[in-house]
Amino acid sequence: MRLIPAILFSVGCATAQIEIPAIGAIADSSGALRQVQGVAGSFLLGPATVPGVLSAVCSERMCLVKTDSKILSATGETDAPAGPAIFGLAANEAMAYFPESGVFARWHDDTLEPLDWVVDGQVLSIGLKEIAVRRDGEVSIVDPDGSVIDSIPEASGPVLLLSDGVLFATGDEIVLRRDHGEFRFELTDAETITAMGPHYAVVRTGHGIYALLIEAGHEALYQLPGSTP
Amino acid sequence: MTRRIFLALLLPLAIRAQIALYTVNNGAEAPIGAVLDMGKVASGDTASVRIRVRNIGTKTASITYFFADGVGYTIDRPSLPFTIAPGSVQDALLSFSQTTVAPLYPANLRVDSDINSFSTIVIANVVLGPALTVFPACTGSNGPPSSIDFGSVQTGLLRLCNFSLQNPSAQAMTIATFKVTGTGFQISSGPQAPFTIPAGGATAFAVNFTPSAAGTYTGALAIETRTYALKGTAFNTPLPTPLLEFDAGAIQSAQQRRLTMRLPSAASSSASGNVNLAFVPDTTLATDDPAVVFLATGTRSLPFSVTQGSTLISISGQTSAMFQTGTTSGRIRFTLTGVATVGDATTLLTVPASTISIDSAIATRRTGDLDIQVTGFDNTYSAGLMTFTFSDTSGAALSTGAIRADFTQDFRTFFTKTQAGSAFQVRVSFPVTGDTSGIGSVDVQLNNSAGTKSQHLVFQ
Repeated sequence: MRLIPAILFSVGCATAQIEIPAIGAIADSSGALRQVQGVAGSFLLGPATVPGVLSAVCSERMCLVKTDSKILSATGETDAPAGPAIFGLAANEAMAYFPESGVFARWHDDTLEPLDWVVDGQVLSIGLKEIAVRRDGEVSIVDPDGSVIDSIPEASGPVLLLSDGVLFATGDEIVLRRDHGEFRFELTDAETITAMGPHYAVVRTGHGIYALLIEAGHEALYQLPGSTP
Repeated sequence: MTRRIFLALLLPLAIRAQIALYTVNNGAEAPIGAVLDMGKVASGDTASVRIRVRNIGTKTASITYFFADGVGYTIDRPSLPFTIAPGSVQDALLSFSQTTVAPLYPANLRVDSDINSFSTIVIANVVLGPALTVFPACTGSNGPPSSIDFGSVQTGLLRLCNFSLQNPSAQAMTIATFKVTGTGFQISSGPQAPFTIPAGGATAFAVNFTPSAAGTYTGALAIETRTYALKGTAFNTPLPTPLLEFDAGAIQSAQQRRLTMRLPSAASSSASGNVNLAFVPDTTLATDDPAVVFLATGTRSLPFSVTQGSTLISISGQTSAMFQTGTTSGRIRFTLTGVATVGDATTLLTVPASTISIDSAIATRRTGDLDIQVTGFDNTYSAGLMTFTFSDTSGAALSTGAIRADFTQDFRTFFTKTQAGSAFQVRVSFPVTGDTSGIGSVDVQLNNSAGTKSQHLVFQ
């Protein structure tokens, strides 16, 4: 046993804060923002909060919500191009793409700065410095200047760029591909994949909303309650 | 001859008349001529005909007289006087009933308005009708209205009613009208009309009732002047007791499991109902676990159906239904409602008590604090006692030894207040002074009534 005299524990003064675990947030089938609570395999949807949500993403540090004309965060709101948005979240900032106007922008501190990125094709997902696009039926990962970094020939549905890999849909599977391995989950008809929280992505299909646990070593696919359209 | 002249005199009046009379049968109007014949009426029965008074003039007509003057006749109509606007109508019900047999019961049906009058002769013939006897299991009533009840019958099966039709009169009786109408009802044996029943004689016949689906059925048995209302109800065949089955593996908390339902033998009729789940927790700190739901709807009831001849039961149109087991030890009870089954299909799943389950845990340093955050669940609702053993960066335990902390009351308060299952995120903070960079890891022991869960965490 080793003594560390420089440290003094205030034994007996330990405190505990207990709360319902929050996994992330989704826009439900009525377009209302709802917190997803619980633990893996036992989910609860919290009460509907913000109505008229077109897009919602959450990371460990923040959630961004796109309504028709604004981006809402926990600290405020900012005007934004109409329609839904595709977000790529980082620590305290986010990249946003607005499909209806074809505009890229950088969000930070409730401000939106347009970017001069010009990318050909259908934008599927964006990160801080890379974009997943579909061109002529092929999915590529490109730089903001358009140069191709990688391609995902197998992807036929939505794509979500992750900090350490990529999540994409084939016709009947969701594929989680990282440098050190790949996981496949049987799921048909994926329509969208977005970041639900720090450890989860949400996959929407025509027959339900699914939570995909992407935490390394715990990868699993779950269905969210009350999610059948 | 006198009567013909009288009727001929009436015709010009009718042509000029402001009001005109019609009979109405199934919505179809027919002008009433000089004579309205109500036909043969069985002794004791009531025959009725709907009379329509139509104002075909351009002025409002005030009806001051509207009677059928004759033995056995009545009229159901508004109180006199009443008015009828131009182009409008007023319906009335003319009825006749007598018990004494006689070939002619006449009446003068007359309607007077402030403009013109309408008059016609109504006649009826009272005859001795055949007498009908119904045998069990069916029951009958002479009414009015006359009716025969076939009772309650299982769908797909047959209920046979036996009858005897007697001729109580001293002369042979010809039965020209003898038929059954109505879905599910059919004459299965007996004579075909027309047929004759000798004086004082009788003939037997049978009517069967074979409903194809659950519900109430009505029909009619018409014998000469009398119509008997037929009625019967049908209920679905009890299903063989459905088998509720689950995907392989032991039931535990925080699972998403699959329920399938099937029949041990084919359904003899199509049926539908609801499969429901309920949860009874072991703990007294919670009355329920809201996470125990069917995933498709987030509710505790789903419709199911089975088709005739099949053993497969579909749930919400699917071959199976997913549900969550929640984060509370206890029993999940599945029941069926809205359908009759041979036996009780209730199925219980026991979710056993288990040690604390950890979803994620992290140890972090802040200035003046060491934080250990654990996300998981305690399906026994008895968490709180914890032990923390800190080690330096080389893995050697610090001289503080194991630090015990008891947050049992905090957890009890949390569980009781939230009633949201046992999922929790707890952050335990240890105030410290001095340089914490030498602290490398902590071994955490979380205790509940089912045992101890250990977790080694490296400080970030």
